[in-house]
Amino acid sequence: MIRLSNVSHSYGVEQVVDDVSLDVEPGEVVAVIGPSGVGKTTLLRTMALFLEPDAGTVALDGDAVWDAAEDERLALRRRIGMVFQEASLFDASVARNVEYGLRVRQDWRERIREQLRSLAGSTNPAAAVEDALEVVGLADKLDQQARSLSGGEAQRVSFARALAYEPSYLLLDEPTSDLDPRNTGLIEEAVFEARDRGIGVVVATHDMHQAERVADRVGVLLGDGFTEVGPTERIFDDPSDERTRKFISGELVY
Amino acid sequence: MQRRKFLQGVGLAAVASTAGCTQITGSESTEAAGVSGETLTLTTTTSTYDTGLLDAIHSDFEEMYGVTVDAVAQGTGAALESARNGDSDVVMVHARGLEDEFMRNGYGINRRDLMFNDFVIVGPTSDPAGIEGSSSATEALATIAETQSAFVSRGDNSGTHTKEKNLWEAAGVDPGGDWYQEIGAGMGEALNNANQQGAYTLSDRGTYISQRSEIDLTILVQGPIEGGPEILANPYGIMAVNPGVHDNANYDLAMAYIGWITSPGAQDAISNYEMNGEQLFYPEAVSEEPNFQQYVPEGWSSDSDSE
Amino acid sequence: MPIESAVPLLLDNPFQRGYVPSIVYVSLYVSVIAVTLSTLVSLPIGLVMGFTQFPGKQFVKSVINTGMGFPSVVVGLMVLFAVSNQGPLGALDLIFTKQAMIISQFVLATPPITAISLAAITGVDENVRDAARALGGTRLDVALVVIKEARYGIATAVLAGFGRAISEVGSVLIVGGNITSADGISKTRTLTTAIQLEARQGRYETAMVLGAVLVTIVLLVNAIVVRLGETGAMNR
Repeated sequence: MIRLSNVSHSYGVEQVVDDVSLDVEPGEVVAVIGPSGVGKTTLLRTMALFLEPDAGTVALDGDAVWDAAEDERLALRRRIGMVFQEASLFDASVARNVEYGLRVRQDWRERIREQLRSLAGSTNPAAAVEDALEVVGLADKLDQQARSLSGGEAQRVSFARALAYEPSYLLLDEPTSDLDPRNTGLIEEAVFEARDRGIGVVVATHDMHQAERVADRVGVLLGDGFTEVGPTERIFDDPSDERTRKFISGELVY
Repeated sequence: MQRRKFLQGVGLAAVASTAGCTQITGSESTEAAGVSGETLTLTTTTSTYDTGLLDAIHSDFEEMYGVTVDAVAQGTGAALESARNGDSDVVMVHARGLEDEFMRNGYGINRRDLMFNDFVIVGPTSDPAGIEGSSSATEALATIAETQSAFVSRGDNSGTHTKEKNLWEAAGVDPGGDWYQEIGAGMGEALNNANQQGAYTLSDRGTYISQRSEIDLTILVQGPIEGGPEILANPYGIMAVNPGVHDNANYDLAMAYIGWITSPGAQDAISNYEMNGEQLFYPEAVSEEPNFQQYVPEGWSSDSDSE
Repeated sequence: MPIESAVPLLLDNPFQRGYVPSIVYVSLYVSVIAVTLSTLVSLPIGLVMGFTQFPGKQFVKSVINTGMGFPSVVVGLMVLFAVSNQGPLGALDLIFTKQAMIISQFVLATPPITAISLAAITGVDENVRDAARALGGTRLDVALVVIKEARYGIATAVLAGFGRAISEVGSVLIVGGNITSADGISKTRTLTTAIQLEARQGRYETAMVLGAVLVTIVLLVNAIVVRLGETGAMNR
């Protein structure tokens, strides 16, 4: 379980996230919805252990992350995957991209050996790489150069890249906001596949319909904290908070 | 005191001649072991190097002692400066005034006269200043200045440049103006430059001979080798760097080198070195007559100078 | 003069046997080692400058930019003072050696390599850095990713540094001394100082032959690096 307890974070004088608490369990999909600029990205980066919160604690399966030593924190960080709004693929083949997470987890001797093998031209991608590409429907693009992919394909590779090393948690930051409906559908299916594999998935999105489609629970981020966190159906059908209701019905315009 | 200095001179001559003997009799293994594998750094002028003389004669010395000679061709001013900084072991240059200053300041010891050739004043065959056949170098230069004929000066503080400045001074001319060009370059470039623009220049005979086939300049005032004025003589000297000032100087090897290059064998090699069928350098070190002035600054005498 | 007379010279080699190969060797030896050292120093500087803010960063940047235009003879003089018997490194006996030449070329090649690498490194999308980190990369992994992403720019930087080093004449002449042994094998003579020597003696034709050799080498090295970059990209 990733547990954020009373987390606050600010950039300079601007309070971006204020006193936020959230639990994410393995095998569930949690959507964080809210308008742009409300701090969803900051929240996800805090969950990904990129940012140390100014106040509050972040715990992964009971371990307080920021109290741990740096190498322990690296081990904790490596149990989390993150997909960004932009695919941000490396300028290399699809296979090399998807392998990356596996590669950095190997020891240096093995990595160098593999590098030499790849220079010699004999690459034999790991089963996990093919499997992850299978999940996003791109197993046939293994040897293609990342730069030659379409935007939708690139984002799906980016998803596979985070899935390949079998993280416990997967954080998606506006993963489909630049995508067409078909690619959006394929990403959402991949989210279900990840959930079925026992991965806890967090999707930050400004698309309420997407949240309704994929999430088991929804957190509504308005202003600088959650107005409400609860099961998807209840949040959308019967929000208890007035601001949540207004946001969902589209009356609250940011 | 005079006696001691005298003995020093004799002693030095003995050292030199012993080293010379080594060459004649062939080196003994025990001697070679002392310096074998070492490197001698020689800073010298462009004229000795560029004529190919050093490359031609050095292999003999290198084989004899099992050593390497690193010859750095820099021009007289820079060669002495490198030695002054302790960056070379022995210097071979051609500007007696600068050599004397170097010795007086304690940097150089055991100077020997090595060889000589001469300078010539060269210019275009049309000879606009009309100096051809002049028996006086200074008069020729004065004429060049008077007629404002183009003149190329090395301008690089080399031995040749130093000689040129001395000649102007002796001619009573302070050269300047459009006709007088300091190019800050080596002898070969100066000759080419003068050739391109039909100018006069002062050259050492060796470099001129080695380049004569490629340029249209002709000798207008001869040096002493061909019966010209003595003032155009171009003597080369050699000195070891004083190990008392620079203890890293390879003094043993420097003295071996001086001994070798002033020996009859090496002096013969110098005199046999020819380019385009002409002798470039005339050996001066081997002589029946004593020549004490080669060991000390010119005009030095113990009465006037020491203590 | 140049072309008609240079061609026969190529046929009847005017140099001693082994002379040209030995000066080519010295040129490459000195330049390659200096550029390798420069690159090893430049990349970490580029990474630190590209990723972090620190006081005096602007100053370091202007030092690097000034260094790009530093006259080589001035570098030569500074290195000469350092390695001369009277200088702080005098005890190491480096004057008139390849090592001294490597030092001066290192000083010359580092600023352009650093500046061009820095431009390439800062050109790498920040998202790519985030991605590497999010995928479990350590600081070193992220740095390696950035270097890989910037590889074309870095290759350009290395080539620029190599070009500056191998075609530089002022400083290597001063600190190297342009020495060959009596049998015509180069100790500290490079193609550039050999060209300078030929020109000093007015032998412009042979100077041009050596110039052609130098240009050929620079072209070859460029071609090899570009080719490596291409095949390297294929394998990724």
